[in-house]
Amino acid sequence: MSLLETFQLALKNILGSKMRTFLTMLGIIIGVCAVIVIVGLGNGMQGYIESQFEDMGTDSLTVMIVGRGSSRSVSEEQMYEMVEENSDLLKQISPTVAMVGILKIGSDSITTTTMTGVSEDYFSMKGYEVVQGRGLQYTDMENRQRVCVIGQYLNMAYFGGNAVGQPLKIGGNTFTIVGVMDQQSSELEEGGTDDCVYLPYTTASRLNYTGTISSYTITVQDKDRVTEAKTLVESELYAIFEDDDAYTVTSMAEMLDTMNEMVNVIIYVLAAIAAISLVVGGIGIMNIMLVSVTERTREIGIRKALGARESVIMRQFVIEAATTSSLGGILGILLGYGLSSVATVVIARIMPDTPITVSPSLLAVVVAFGVSTGIGIVFGYIPAKKAANLNPIDALHYD
Amino acid sequence: MGPLIEFRHVCKTYQMGDTLIRAANDISMKIERGEFVAIVGQSGSGKSTCMNIIGCLDVPTSGTYLLDGQDVGQMNKNQLAAIRNKMLGFIFQQYNLLPKLTLLENVEVPLMYAGVPKAERRERAKVALELVGLGDKLRHKPMQLSGGQQQRVSIARALAGEPAVILADEPTGALDSRTGREVLAMLQELHAAGNTVVLITHDNSIAVQAQRIIRLEDGRVIYDGDASAPEAVVTPNQAGKGMGVK
Repeated sequence: MSLLETFQLALKNILGSKMRTFLTMLGIIIGVCAVIVIVGLGNGMQGYIESQFEDMGTDSLTVMIVGRGSSRSVSEEQMYEMVEENSDLLKQISPTVAMVGILKIGSDSITTTTMTGVSEDYFSMKGYEVVQGRGLQYTDMENRQRVCVIGQYLNMAYFGGNAVGQPLKIGGNTFTIVGVMDQQSSELEEGGTDDCVYLPYTTASRLNYTGTISSYTITVQDKDRVTEAKTLVESELYAIFEDDDAYTVTSMAEMLDTMNEMVNVIIYVLAAIAAISLVVGGIGIMNIMLVSVTERTREIGIRKALGARESVIMRQFVIEAATTSSLGGILGILLGYGLSSVATVVIARIMPDTPITVSPSLLAVVVAFGVSTGIGIVFGYIPAKKAANLNPIDALHYD
Repeated sequence: MGPLIEFRHVCKTYQMGDTLIRAANDISMKIERGEFVAIVGQSGSGKSTCMNIIGCLDVPTSGTYLLDGQDVGQMNKNQLAAIRNKMLGFIFQQYNLLPKLTLLENVEVPLMYAGVPKAERRERAKVALELVGLGDKLRHKPMQLSGGQQQRVSIARALAGEPAVILADEPTGALDSRTGREVLAMLQELHAAGNTVVLITHDNSIAVQAQRIIRLEDGRVIYDGDASAPEAVVTPNQAGKGMGVK
């Protein structure tokens, strides 16, 4: 009796009692479906986090100079030189000076706005576009010009879309708006990414009374070599400071990895909980198979009398259990995909700002199918063994 | 060539609680190829035990059972399954057909376990069913048939594997007397065609249809000889009381 024939026989028996088969499979269906949706949700969350980090630039390093523990310092020129000398790894650099002070537009005081002093390269590094007026230029840096580029939020909320040429005040100093950035996020909101002011870093550092610049953003040539670039910058800085407490280098990519790991842990825990349902489903299958063996005692007796070996009877019942559970697995996968699409739509409705696409991974599908089949084999084993061990004489006279 | 079936001092004992039951108590007999033998006895006489041992469903506790010269007592379960499949064709009182399968599939079952390829299997099953006069009902399910027809299916199933021994356990027990006679006639035809037929029954009127009768009582052979002899159908204790054939 070939494996194919055994399988056909199993399928025939399973389809012979559809309601019972469906109820038996239900545990597996729910378990597989839950695992797939949860993993899909995790993928969606990771995708969302990644896209958020992408906006911030996963190809950039942030260097903070603390200077603690060493009297030495590092100048802008040294930093620029470092980038130039290592142009195979590092692409561009811009100092980033957080501006302190109150922003005033007309008579309104605004506290939510992020104000940063940057170089003329910063916009191209970040991929920001200037849609009105001009960006910051080298001469602005040289002459410590009191000019700035503002985000679309300020432009729309305070200048009615015509901010170029208008003045604003930061800490009592008047700046002229020379450009307006393209909208970054899907919605303009207070405190969002479009609520920002960029000014020349030289001006910012002068007005802040900070002698040296303590923060830089460096972009790398190749996203995949961020870690290598980070190590390089760290060793260059160590050469200057000879103390690794004096600076910190962080990469968005590494932070992203950390976030992803955290999400993964959460997903694994949730998936493990969902997988409990698979075990419960497996026990359900075992239960029904035991009943089935009892019901079919006579059939087993006849088959044995006619020459079925124990291994053949065993195989028949194991394959039947495995077929039941893998059918359940397939239904669970289909249901999981269906629910994933529904979940995507629902999430988009409820949280329009965080569009998470619930996308089940192929790996999850393969694993779910494999596990459900495996569960059938494992939990089918005991009933199959019971069937195989039946004494044909007793089984033939069983009513 | 030795006998097809040979019992040498076969004993079978069962432990039932504290009591030891001797279902077969030193049975020795030989059945040659081509014989039609009825093993007769009341319930508890040991005929079912005999049938189980001949059918390789059970092995003797002591003594030797040789089937076509092979010592069945020494075989493991897989070898027993193989020998049942190859050497024996069972006909049961309750037909024991698989209700979910068609007649054709039912007859195919022993061939399937013998590893006969599907096309050949189908053909042989068809031939066997035609032989018992059910060639027009190949796709029917057993439940659509009368008892007599079902028993014919089980005869076809027994024949399909071309076994050395056809072992019929009370084949007419569930049938009315007319269909019972038909089934018996069929067994006689099989015997006439050269098959070895062993019939197990409690019914003397059935047993006399055979060539030879082996009568069992309390696990022993009390008569072994020609079916037409008057002693064949009379148990010794009944003879003394003047009781005749049932």
